[in-house]
Amino acid sequence: MEQVKALILTGFGLNCDNETALAFELAGAQSHRVHINALIAKKVRLADFHILALGGGFSWGDDHGAGVIQAVKLKNHIGGDLLSFVEQGKLVIGICNGFQTLVNLGLLPGLDKDYTRRSVAITYNDCGSFRDQWVHLAAAPESPCVFTKGMQAAEFPVRHGEGKFIADPDVVSALFTGRQVVFQYANEKAHPAEGVFPLNPNGSVQDIAGICDPTGRIFGLMPHPEAYNHVTNHPDWTRQKQMQIRSKKAFGMQDTKGIQLFRNGVDYIRERVL
Amino acid sequence: MIYNIEIALKPQLRDAEGSALIKKADTYFGICIQSARSIHMVTIEADIAKDDMERVQREIFTNPVTQVSSLTPGDIDFDWCIWIGFRPGVKDNPGATAMEAIADLLGKSFGPDEGIYTSRRYCLKGENLTRPDVEKLAEQLLSNPIIQRYKIFPRSQWDPVKGADVKPARVILDHIPCFDFIDIDSDQTLARISDQRNLALNARDIPIIRNYFLDPDVLAQRGKMGLSRPTDVELEYISQARSDHCNHNTFNGIFRYKDVLSGEVTIENSLFKTYIQQPTLALKEKKDWVVSVLWDNAGVGEFDEENNYVITGETHNSPSNMEAYGGAITGIVGVYRDPMGTGLGSKLFMGSFGFCVGDITYDGPLKPPLHPRRLLDGVVEGVKDGGNKSGVPTTFGQTLFDPGYMGKSLVFVTALGIMPKQVAGRPSHEKKTSPGDLIIMSGGRVGKDGIHGVTASSESFSENTPAGHVQIGDPYTQKKMHDFLLVCRDEGLIRFITDNGGGGLSSSIGESAMISNGCMVHLDKVPLKYEGLDMWEIWVSESQERMTIAVTPAHLDRFMALSTEHGVESTVIGEYTDSGKLHILYHDKTCAYVDMDLLDKGFPAWEFDAVWLPPETRGLCEPVIRSPKDVNRLLIAMLEQPNICSKEWIIRQYDHEVQGGSVIKPLVGVNHNIPSDASVTRPVLTGKKGLAFSQTLLPWYSKIDAYHMMTCTIDETVRRLIAVGGSFAHIGGVDNFCWPNIAYDAQSNPDGTFKAAQLVRACRALKDACVAYEIPLLSGKDSMYVDGHLEGAFGERIKVSALETVQFSATSVIDDVMCCLTLDPKASGDYIYVAGTTADELGGSEYYDMFGKTGRNVPRVNFAANKILYKTVEKAIGLEIPASCHGIARGGLGVHLALMAMAGGLGMEIDLSQVPAGASDLADEVLLFSESAGRFILTLAPDQAPLFEKLCKGLPVCRAGTVKAKEDSLKIKGTRGDTIVNLSSQTLADAFNKPFGDMIWNR
Repeated sequence: MEQVKALILTGFGLNCDNETALAFELAGAQSHRVHINALIAKKVRLADFHILALGGGFSWGDDHGAGVIQAVKLKNHIGGDLLSFVEQGKLVIGICNGFQTLVNLGLLPGLDKDYTRRSVAITYNDCGSFRDQWVHLAAAPESPCVFTKGMQAAEFPVRHGEGKFIADPDVVSALFTGRQVVFQYANEKAHPAEGVFPLNPNGSVQDIAGICDPTGRIFGLMPHPEAYNHVTNHPDWTRQKQMQIRSKKAFGMQDTKGIQLFRNGVDYIRERVL
Repeated sequence: MIYNIEIALKPQLRDAEGSALIKKADTYFGICIQSARSIHMVTIEADIAKDDMERVQREIFTNPVTQVSSLTPGDIDFDWCIWIGFRPGVKDNPGATAMEAIADLLGKSFGPDEGIYTSRRYCLKGENLTRPDVEKLAEQLLSNPIIQRYKIFPRSQWDPVKGADVKPARVILDHIPCFDFIDIDSDQTLARISDQRNLALNARDIPIIRNYFLDPDVLAQRGKMGLSRPTDVELEYISQARSDHCNHNTFNGIFRYKDVLSGEVTIENSLFKTYIQQPTLALKEKKDWVVSVLWDNAGVGEFDEENNYVITGETHNSPSNMEAYGGAITGIVGVYRDPMGTGLGSKLFMGSFGFCVGDITYDGPLKPPLHPRRLLDGVVEGVKDGGNKSGVPTTFGQTLFDPGYMGKSLVFVTALGIMPKQVAGRPSHEKKTSPGDLIIMSGGRVGKDGIHGVTASSESFSENTPAGHVQIGDPYTQKKMHDFLLVCRDEGLIRFITDNGGGGLSSSIGESAMISNGCMVHLDKVPLKYEGLDMWEIWVSESQERMTIAVTPAHLDRFMALSTEHGVESTVIGEYTDSGKLHILYHDKTCAYVDMDLLDKGFPAWEFDAVWLPPETRGLCEPVIRSPKDVNRLLIAMLEQPNICSKEWIIRQYDHEVQGGSVIKPLVGVNHNIPSDASVTRPVLTGKKGLAFSQTLLPWYSKIDAYHMMTCTIDETVRRLIAVGGSFAHIGGVDNFCWPNIAYDAQSNPDGTFKAAQLVRACRALKDACVAYEIPLLSGKDSMYVDGHLEGAFGERIKVSALETVQFSATSVIDDVMCCLTLDPKASGDYIYVAGTTADELGGSEYYDMFGKTGRNVPRVNFAANKILYKTVEKAIGLEIPASCHGIARGGLGVHLALMAMAGGLGMEIDLSQVPAGASDLADEVLLFSESAGRFILTLAPDQAPLFEKLCKGLPVCRAGTVKAKEDSLKIKGTRGDTIVNLSSQTLADAFNKPFGDMIWNR
């Protein structure tokens, strides 16, 4: 059986590459951490992969807007490769800094199939600072997003200073109409947070935490699914474990929601592309 | 060509930076700003055509959704405008990344006369704003004169064409680099020159230095190189090597310790050898997991079959006191280089912080360089940027307040790395330099920044301390280097690696060349930030983000190719030799030529008189306080104390779970807001093992006896590890001493002998505790001058010294993270146990501190008893008996029951008469607030009780209550049977979160 191959970008201040690679491995893919310059120098060909992951970190220190310089660099050197990768029906996931990069590249939201226009932004949190916090997420069940198939809710940590999603009202409404809003910050019952801090940790409009392109194959989100790669990552796991023990149930035998998300992507490639 | 790009948020968007300014202006100074908008400015001095510049402006500097920009001054209305920019030579990180981005976009390289500089201006509106208000904001909030400049424009003086009229902050030295010869005709001459040049040579070292350079053999050899008298490069090298920072003269000094009560005198020949080295080496023999200690940049312990972990801790106090953000970011980024330079290099996997600052509400007459409030803001942000941008989780940290830290605040930073035991077939913890190996400098470039940092941090801050050593760390450059070096390591390209920290190349090459026994360095090859540095400056500059690496010539091409791929600058600057000489050249002209063993030429040990005045001789006694009648209000007030209350606003700003290995987070409980006993991390994501980490600071006990401060600090650190599931058999320690000056001087330091005695006692305690608990000291550092001379109301300068402080950090390896535990009670109906004996030990406690008292009954650690209890609790956790476990620490049982109740979001009922007590007649407030060591609170399901009680048979462990339902409160019954505390967990939480609550939300 041919392997599903995931390319995880590294270098220039990116920092979630190891755990993102691990998450893809746990989800059944073969992970390759590849330096941005190796891709630009054509030492590694993007076309040899099925999934491209732009992970978290502080590319170029995020000094001139999160993900901005990364986007300029990718567009400048491998913009064409990226577009043909997308055209071939392959998957792109951008997490945190990767999401910020995707919106600055214009790969998201990809309204009207225009994958070069910057029409949404992810900017400074309303709370005024970087924030590490687990959030509840409500997933849109009808979203075409490949990665969240079958998912109604999830919990992952956010860890960012610039996570506030903003766009013109007509863009936002187009995103909702097209079911492109994949994740919204929510309360523990998976009802959208309605802007209430800290359920919505950054002030994102309409509690938007993640969006996809109209095909559902390009996905960007601020929360970190790869940071929930093990049952003990969850902030409540010691309590969850006690409750399971007391009702005589096994604990920690299933994939975490984080790994499920990556597995959805890997399964999609296996079913539809390979 | 000079361009100024002005970038602002679109007017309809909220300006978080402006909002933060409005809020701080109001809360700090009562200055009312109606609106504040920030404009980011990028000044580009480069040969770039207008249309290219417009492309740069559009693609890099303007987000079409959120921003507007222009190449002329932006049109934003204001009453006052403040412009803030860096002084020339100050590290401008956004300027550097902008240069990188433009170079890439335009395919252009920047010449030495070109550069990019960032700055900001703030457009303020406010009817009542006056020039003094605006100056205050510029000086005391927005800029620090050490690194920044500001300009203020009232609307009437604003020229809309010239705008803020920003000029490039280019460094122009206009100086031909050279080296000097130094006169050594007499000791006095050299001492004078040492003062003039800030060499900080010790008076007793001066004759040794002169003897060396006047030795006929030495003169003959130097003559062949064209040298006679010592050069400034050589004396700087000696100065760095002999500084207290590098040489640990205090810990290697001779102490004459006298106890005034007994009259007994003991001579301590080396605190380091006696109390740190000897016990650690003995434990290394006994403990297989101890891999490498006491020589490298960090200690090494075994993590699992295939990997070792690396740990070290540092302080960055003096720079942080002058420029809090710059000092703290440089501190954390700097300590992160230590694991990178340990063995053949490790991958960073976690860090931690400890902040000790003055009273942030201080409004007295003393004028510290930075007000404690501003200082705390700065260090919090510095560690935030340094840690987060390094991609390393900050999994633990503490912040505490004491007036003594206004003299000098403390910034502790700790770093842990992980490395495979074998790298390219060699043990990763071993390394050496060999003749013929090339000396490579990787990472940042060298500038004037950081010159004399080492000698300055070895002195107390005075009016004359040069400000030039304040730097701003660059985590981005370092992260690139970190990733690059790990690839090189795994390919077997690295023979030796060490970081450039204190002392710069002088230390890193000077020390590493001892191994090969010689080196030849070409200083003209060292890449500089700007031209015009003298040789000695290049040699000792502490410019950050640099590593020194030994690479064999055969590996050079591969090493350099990887360096280019990772966007890291690497340069061959010399080679290691076996000539026995430190040989430094500049354009082939020798400017230093000394023997590698020069430092072994009989430099004298420092000597100190230490006089111990036991607490009773200092008039310390128990305060007379009758039992409080309103314990409810008392407990609430305790929870509001700055040293007890929630510091969530700090911890949340730190990414504590990047790298995906978080098991026990710094904040736990149903609302994720109660500080955990310790953190647990999986550095190897494919394994089951975890690394538990904890730290403790208990400086208040030093007011009574630093011996007990030290033992209590270590005991609490161990207790914290045990509480989350740590293993008693594997505890590695790191000691970070911060001490006021101990050198007696009748005028300037009249209590120096007492502080010296405190140091001796703390070291004795360190050994006693480490031997009792079998803790090898994997690493440790000392910072010996935590004093400040603060200007008072009348122009007088008052010396303010910090408490004698030790931060103790410890690690433990956990076999299966699934057995880890948090402190929150999990279910109503569970039993509550109190383990360990409570004694009348309120001396130095938070309770006494509430009333401004010290007392004398400082907690004493019973190592033997605690060891049995700790092992028992470890066993119980391993058997998964308890549902929660929490070490009782600062504030005592009462405070820690409250923390557990909040963490569980559940009621708790406790009967104080059931708490194991050292005497039968302890008052309720003693039981509640005594800070006796060696105690835990545990909760467990009733069906686990028989097994637990059997395990604890014969130990001071008693069932003292029951966990209640969500709607129930924390109810504490006193020894006379009356309910003395009855508070809902919401009431507790309100108090606990109140003091810093509004720091979380900046709206």
